[in-house]
Amino acid sequence: MHPEFRGDMDHHDGTSDAIPGGYVEKQRPGELAFAIFLTLASLFLLYSAYGISGFDALSAPGAIPMATTLVMAISAFAVVLRTARLKKVTTETLSKDILPGTVVLFIGFLIVFGLLLQPLGFVLTAAVFLIVAIKVLAKRGWGYTLAVALGSLVVIWIVFRVVFTVLLPAGVLPEAEFIQYFRNLMSAGAS
Amino acid sequence: MSRKLISAVIALGLSTTIAVAQDYPTKEIQGIIQWSAGGSTDTVMRSVTPHAEAALGGTVVMQNMTGAVGAIALNHVAGAKADGYTLLMGAENPLLYKVMGLGDKDYSEFTPINILARGTPILVANKDAPFDDYSGMLDYIASNPGALRLGSTGPGGLPSVITAMMNTVEGELDVIAVPYDGDGPALTALQGGAIDVMPAVLGAAIETIRAGAIKPIAIFDVEQNENLPDVPLVTSFNDGYNTYLPWGPFFGVFAPKDTPDDVVAKLSAAYTEGAANPDFMKLMEDRGFTMMGISGAEATAFLSKWQQGTAWLLQDSGLAKTSPEEFGIARP
Amino acid sequence: MDTFLAIFTVFTQLDLLVLVGVGTFVGIYIGAIPGLSVTMAVSILISFTFSWDVYPAISLMVGIYMGGVYGGSRTAILLNIPGAPSAIATAMDGYPMAQRGEAGQAIGVTTVMSFFGGLIGILVLALAAPFVSEFALSFQPRDYMLLAVLGILLVGSLSSGSMIKGIFAGSLGIAIGAVGRDPLTFTERFTFDFQIMEGGISFIAVMIGMFGVSEALMQLQNVNMKAVRQKIDRIVPSFGTVKKYLPLSLQTSTIGVIIGALPGTGGDIAALMAYDHAKRVTKKPKVPFGQGAMEGLVAPETANNAAVGGAFIPMMTLGIPGDAVTAIMIGALFIHGLNPGPMLMIDQPDMFWFIVGALFTANIFMLIFGLTGIKIFTKIVEIPRSIIIPLILLLSIVGAYAVNNSITDVYWMLGFGVFGYFMRHYGYPLGPVILGVILSRLLDDNWRRAIISEREELGRFFHGIFTSPLSLVLFVAVILIFVSQTPLWAILKKRLFRKTS
Repeated sequence: MHPEFRGDMDHHDGTSDAIPGGYVEKQRPGELAFAIFLTLASLFLLYSAYGISGFDALSAPGAIPMATTLVMAISAFAVVLRTARLKKVTTETLSKDILPGTVVLFIGFLIVFGLLLQPLGFVLTAAVFLIVAIKVLAKRGWGYTLAVALGSLVVIWIVFRVVFTVLLPAGVLPEAEFIQYFRNLMSAGAS
Repeated sequence: MSRKLISAVIALGLSTTIAVAQDYPTKEIQGIIQWSAGGSTDTVMRSVTPHAEAALGGTVVMQNMTGAVGAIALNHVAGAKADGYTLLMGAENPLLYKVMGLGDKDYSEFTPINILARGTPILVANKDAPFDDYSGMLDYIASNPGALRLGSTGPGGLPSVITAMMNTVEGELDVIAVPYDGDGPALTALQGGAIDVMPAVLGAAIETIRAGAIKPIAIFDVEQNENLPDVPLVTSFNDGYNTYLPWGPFFGVFAPKDTPDDVVAKLSAAYTEGAANPDFMKLMEDRGFTMMGISGAEATAFLSKWQQGTAWLLQDSGLAKTSPEEFGIARP
Repeated sequence: MDTFLAIFTVFTQLDLLVLVGVGTFVGIYIGAIPGLSVTMAVSILISFTFSWDVYPAISLMVGIYMGGVYGGSRTAILLNIPGAPSAIATAMDGYPMAQRGEAGQAIGVTTVMSFFGGLIGILVLALAAPFVSEFALSFQPRDYMLLAVLGILLVGSLSSGSMIKGIFAGSLGIAIGAVGRDPLTFTERFTFDFQIMEGGISFIAVMIGMFGVSEALMQLQNVNMKAVRQKIDRIVPSFGTVKKYLPLSLQTSTIGVIIGALPGTGGDIAALMAYDHAKRVTKKPKVPFGQGAMEGLVAPETANNAAVGGAFIPMMTLGIPGDAVTAIMIGALFIHGLNPGPMLMIDQPDMFWFIVGALFTANIFMLIFGLTGIKIFTKIVEIPRSIIIPLILLLSIVGAYAVNNSITDVYWMLGFGVFGYFMRHYGYPLGPVILGVILSRLLDDNWRRAIISEREELGRFFHGIFTSPLSLVLFVAVILIFVSQTPLWAILKKRLFRKTS
C-alpha cells in the first residue's frame, strides 16, 4: 500500500474527513476533470485578485488574495499533472459511485429549497422538503412520512423561531401574527 | 369601473390602513441591528428597546445583521415593507456610504424614529508616548515625520473623520495610519503599544483612561466633559476646530420611508419614553454619551446637517471617493 | 479576603446554582446543534435577562458558554458534523470511533477531558490573570501574523492523504475568508460586482456546508446500511486512562488558555493547534491519528474548554473581550450598570471571584450532564438514515440562515456542501479549508498592519522580528515546523544520523 495512504480500503469514498476519499495510486471517474476545473477556477480567481489592487503595495488589500490564489493555481495544476499520470479505477463509474441518482435528486431538492425559501417561506418549503425526502428515502406509508416530517418540523420551528427568535423567511404564512396571537393569549392568561 | 366603486375601494383601503395603524403593533417588530453583538450600537439598542417595548405594548425582536460596514442591514431594511414592522437600528456610517463609495443608499431612504444619543470623540495615546498633551504631540510629529502610528478604523470611521479634521485645521500631519476593524481592537493595540495615538469615542476609552492604561490628549468637543473634567478641549489649543465641532457619532432607530405617519408617531413616542428611562440615562452617561432623544423634523435636520459637514470635510481632505456634490449634498 | 469569598456565592444561593445548571444543560444542546451558537444564545439572553439582577444573568450566560463549547463535540463524534467551530478537530478522531461503535467511550473521554481543560483555564484565570493579560497585550500585529502562519502550517497535519491537495484546500480557505468588503479599506474583493457578495462568506456557513451537507449527501449512498450499534457500557474512562493522558492534556490546556486569552483568537484555533501539537508529540499512538486516536480527542477538547477561562482573562482584567462571547458579556455588564474595564478588578473584585466561582460550577455541571445523558444521545446515531439525512439537511439550512439572518449564507452553504461532496470523493481534505477561513483575517489584517507600521519596508519588518523576543520565538517555531514538513528535514535527519553512527 502506498505510504501516503492513511485510510483503509473501505473508506475510499471519504466518509470521514480524517480519512479522505480517493485512491492514492488510481484515478477515480471525474477526478481529472475536477482537478482541471479547480485549476481553471484558481487562475480566474488569481486574475480577479490582481484586479483588486494590482502590485500596488505590500500592504494592499489584494496582496494576500494574490498570494493565496497563486498557491491555489500552482497546487491545483500539480494535482492535475499527478492525477493524469495515474491509471483509472476500472470498477467504478461516474453515475454509480460518484453521482448516483439519489445524490443528484437531493442536490436538486436543495436547489429548489434554496429558490423557494424566500418567496414561499420557511415553514411550507421545509414541510414539502421533509415529506418528499423522507418518502423517497424511507419508502414507507404516508402516515409514517407525514408524522415524522411534520413532527420534527414543529420541533425545529419552535426551537429556532420561538426560542431563539431567528427570523426565518415568513413567506406566505402570517407567522408573526400567529406568534403574537399566542403571546397575547399567554399574557392574558398571566394577568 | 364606476366612480362610486373606485371611491369605495379607496375608502376601504384607507380604512384598513387606519385600522392597522390604530392596532399597531399587531405582530412582533423586527429590529435589525447594523453591527455585531457586543458592539456599542448593539449594547445601546438592546438596553433601550425593552423600555420602548413597555411603552409600545409590543415585542421587538432584535437581530444582528453585519457585513459590508453595515450596508447589508441598511439595504435589507430599506427594501422591507414600510409598515413599521421592520426597523433599522444603526449608527452614523450610512450617511457617508455615498461619498465613500460603499453604497447608493443612506438615511434619506428612511424616516428617523429617534436619534438616541451622540458620542464625543477623544484623542488618546499610549501611556508611554513621549508627549502628554495636544501641542506636545504636534511638536513630536513635526520633529519625527512619519514615525507616529495613528490608529484608524477604515475610511469614513470616526478616526478618519477626526484625522481629516486635524489635517484641515493643523495642515497635513505626517503620520502612519494603521487600520483596525473597529475601535475595540484598535484600543487594545493602543494599550499594547502597536499604535501610539488613536481618536476614539469617549465611551469606549473612558474606563481604560480612568485606570491610567492610556492617557487622554484632548477632547474633541466645545464643552468640558463631566466624566473627564481635567482633560483639555482641543479648541483650547486651536480655535479652528470650532468650525467643525461639536461633531460625533450617533445612534438612532429608523423606519423605511413611507411608513404611515401614525405608526412613526407611535414608535417615536415609545422610543422617546424608553430613552427617558433613568436606568438607560445613567448607563449612557456613564459611557460618556450625550443624550439627544430627538425625532421628527428636528432629527431630519440634524441628519442633513451632520451629513453636509462630514461629507464635505472628507471631500476637502481628499478622503471621499465621490464628491458630495454628485449626490446633492450642499456645502455647509 | 471577603471579596475572595464571593467565589462561593453560587453555592450559597440556590437560584444561582440552578441557573448555572440550567445554562450548562441548555448550552450543551445549543453547542451540539450546528448553527445554534453560544454567541447567538448569549446575545438573546441580554434582552431576556434585562430586568434581572446582574448575578443571575451572568450565571446563566456562564453556564451556556461552558456547556456550549463542550456540546459541539457531541455531533462531531456522532455524526461527523461539528456542532461548533471549536469541535472541528474533535470530529477527526471522534467519528471514526463512533463508526466502530465506541461513541460512548469517545464521549466519556471527551467529557472528562473537557472538564480537565476547563479546570485548568479557570485556575489560570483565578491565579495568574493579570500576568497572562499583560503577556497577551504584548502581542504586536507581526506576532499575530506569525501566529496565523504557524496555524496555516497545521495544514500538514490536518491533511491526511495527499499533502498537495491539503495545500490547495488551505489556500482556498484563505481566499474564501477574503471575499467581500475588506474590513480595513472597504475595497471589494472577489465580489464580481454582485451586491450579495459584499458581506463576505460566513465561515459558519462554509463549515455547515462542508461538514453537514456533504456528509449527508455522502451517506445517501448507503441509506439502507444498518447503523452501528453503540457500546455504552464503559462510558466513564478509568483512572488509568486519565492519568495516561495527563501530561498531554496539561500541554494542550496551556495552548488553550493562551490562545483563548489573546484578543481575536478563540477556542476554534486553540483546538486545531492543540490537535497538531498532540500529533507532533505522540510518537506511538495506539490507534493512528485520524482513525480514532484517543490523543486526537483529548487535545482539542482540553484546549477549547481551557480557552473559556482564557477568554475571561482580558475581559476581567482589561475590559477587552477574549472572543465573541465575552464581548457580549461585557455589553451585559454595562447594561447591568457595571463598568467593565481595567478598574473592574479594583472597584468590584467580587464580580471577578463570582465569575470564577460560576465558571467552576458550570464546569462541574458539564461533567455531570455530560456523563449522564450519553445513552439518549448515542441513540441519534441509531435513528434510521432515511430520517436523519433529511433532518441534517434541513438543520444545515436553518443553521446557515440563523448565523446572520441572510439567505445568501444559505446559498453559500449549499454550494460548499456540493463542492465539499466532490472534494471528499476525490481525496481533498476539508479540515484545511475551514482552517484557512478561520485564519484568513488574522493573517491578512495583521500582515498589513505590521507592514504599514514599518512604512512598507521589509527590512524594518524583519528587524522588528529579530529584536523582539516574542516575535523571534514565534518566527523560529514557524521555520522549524516548516522545515520539519518538507523533504529537507528527511535529508537533514539522514545526514545527522550518519554522522552520529
